[in-house]
Amino acid sequence: MVGERILKKFLFSGWLTGLTTALMMLASTPSAMGEQLADYRGDIDRGRLVFGQCRTCHYPEKIIGHHNGPNLHAIFGKVAGKQPGFDYYSETFKAAEFVWTPELLFVWLADVEAMFPDTTMMSLGVPDPQQRADLIAYLQLFK
Amino acid sequence: MSENKQFNKNSLVDSKNAASLTRRRLLAAMAATAAGAAFAKGDEKDSGVELNDASPRIAENSRAIRHWDITTDVLVAGSGAAGISAAIDAARAGAKVLVVEKLNKLGGSSAMSGGVIYAGGGTALQKALGYEDSVEDMYHYIAESGRKHPHLDKIQVYCEESVAHFDWLLANGVPYKEEFSASKGLAFNEAGLYYSGSEEAWPWRDRFKPVPRGHVPWEKGHQGGRKLMEALIASANALGVKSMKRVSAERLVLEDDGRVVGMIADVQGKRTRIRARRGVVLACGGFIHNREMVRLYAPELYDCSVPWANAGDLGIGIRMGMGAGAAALRMDQGFAIGPIYPPENTIAGIAVNENAQRFTTEEGYHAVMGNDVTYKHNGVAYFICDKTSDRPAGSDGQPLIAEADTIAELEQKAGFPEGSLQMTVDYYNRHARKGQDPMFHKSKKYLSAIDKPPFKVYDLSVDRAQYSSHTFGGLQTLPNSQVVNIWGDAIPGLYAAGRTTSGLPTSPYIASGISVGDCTFFGRKAGQSAAADKS
Repeated sequence: MVGERILKKFLFSGWLTGLTTALMMLASTPSAMGEQLADYRGDIDRGRLVFGQCRTCHYPEKIIGHHNGPNLHAIFGKVAGKQPGFDYYSETFKAAEFVWTPELLFVWLADVEAMFPDTTMMSLGVPDPQQRADLIAYLQLFK
Repeated sequence: MSENKQFNKNSLVDSKNAASLTRRRLLAAMAATAAGAAFAKGDEKDSGVELNDASPRIAENSRAIRHWDITTDVLVAGSGAAGISAAIDAARAGAKVLVVEKLNKLGGSSAMSGGVIYAGGGTALQKALGYEDSVEDMYHYIAESGRKHPHLDKIQVYCEESVAHFDWLLANGVPYKEEFSASKGLAFNEAGLYYSGSEEAWPWRDRFKPVPRGHVPWEKGHQGGRKLMEALIASANALGVKSMKRVSAERLVLEDDGRVVGMIADVQGKRTRIRARRGVVLACGGFIHNREMVRLYAPELYDCSVPWANAGDLGIGIRMGMGAGAAALRMDQGFAIGPIYPPENTIAGIAVNENAQRFTTEEGYHAVMGNDVTYKHNGVAYFICDKTSDRPAGSDGQPLIAEADTIAELEQKAGFPEGSLQMTVDYYNRHARKGQDPMFHKSKKYLSAIDKPPFKVYDLSVDRAQYSSHTFGGLQTLPNSQVVNIWGDAIPGLYAAGRTTSGLPTSPYIASGISVGDCTFFGRKAGQSAAADKS
């Protein structure tokens, strides 16, 4: 939890932006349970089904566009909460200045309310670290 | 036609008369037992009951409540279509209403759905688009297309009041475009009306007059649920309904005689006692995200690969109701789909079981085939196609198992019993070339021989395909949405609606819009009944 608090402070501090900075921080930022993405080998086919539940609101296929949640095509490398054409970001994500990375998504999905309490995502995340790694491996296909 | 499927215009159950003389005595005994448990073990933190386990949440006796933190007339747990509809009609009846929601956003699974409402009998939209419908036709389709012995009393009142219910949606600001969509399934367009079930497919088209009854809020794409809930939440706000987010309901509070008078809830970590002077409405959704509960109560759904619902569908309302003595019905039933269409060219392919035998029409509603796969074929099925009926490139919902230039080779590669797929395809092609389908009478526009290589087999099995599922089982309620206990008596002060209850949806799920339609309709009944409950 200490790691998450430090991470949030930096992510929303208003003077840090950019992929490099986020990656530097995340290299030493475990989830609340102490898990790190580097410790897991993601499986794309398992990730296809783990991600299935997210399709109530998110599509990774570019052609489908936004749904109840923003489109996730090439999401890694994008600044959070800024996609054109999606009008339903929470205030948390409107104000965000960080860049989505696999490592950050791994931490967030461990416990979405712990990290961003004001999120309006209607999911409580993916508690199982292996499943999160699988989901991320699948999402990385779409770029 | 069997007797229980007769349309009866005079048999609506009057819940006020449903309570027997024994009710209070039995409830009192039950409440005393619950109170004893509560006193013996203290509060939930001390009792060892895990919040996320699958056990019923034993109700608390009101004598254990020293003071109430919050008081309202009607307390609604859950903010999906059922909860918000309850709140609207309770507030309109003059009650002070509080809605509590577990997540940080109102709307529930309904806001994530297509927002389709199954309505008929001659709604304003049906009439505007030139479709004739009757209460009787709608009743027979719903009552006789799903699982055996549905809740006929609920179906009847739902159909009888469907026209007025659609007017209610309009009056609450839900927009509908006067346009019909002929596409199979919910289209990515703005049309307000379509055939949302199997009405045009055999055998239904021969048994019931096909009429489009899927009413879709005016929204481009599949976000009709969001549009529906935006309108209903705005309507509730305008009526003065209060709401609290990130509140997790935990257990009901009962008086000695069994009457429900409030609820214990976790308000951001603080145990909070909420008093409901007139009634509590449980509208907390189903339980597909409580995996242990799914394993115990709905084992077939447990194997489906994708839980399809808002994260709050944890069975909390169902367990709270059970903890107060409520009956839970048909807990194994649910929605399970691995759609083979859209696009519509795929309907010309065939779905087969593990012995390469067809088992249903490919043009039926997704959940009809899904029910067959999930409940009748051990979760195993395959989609067979040729070049013209192939799935679109890039879709990964159903993994490709085998590809070949002949059916014999395909059969061998996929591991079907020798000769089985060849026999099925030969039989199918022989008749398809004549525009016939003796087994399932697929419409001619979807019939063509499977004879253009490459031939392919895709996996339609529930644990390999994107198999979306959620639950239909829940608390037993009367048509006025009052909860019924295990002895068949109404529980005073307790109401429920939507997927927390066993309502119109069954396995097979017969049409989009039955579930959200049931949520809105019986949510309203719950709100009306609770607001009127001043006993």
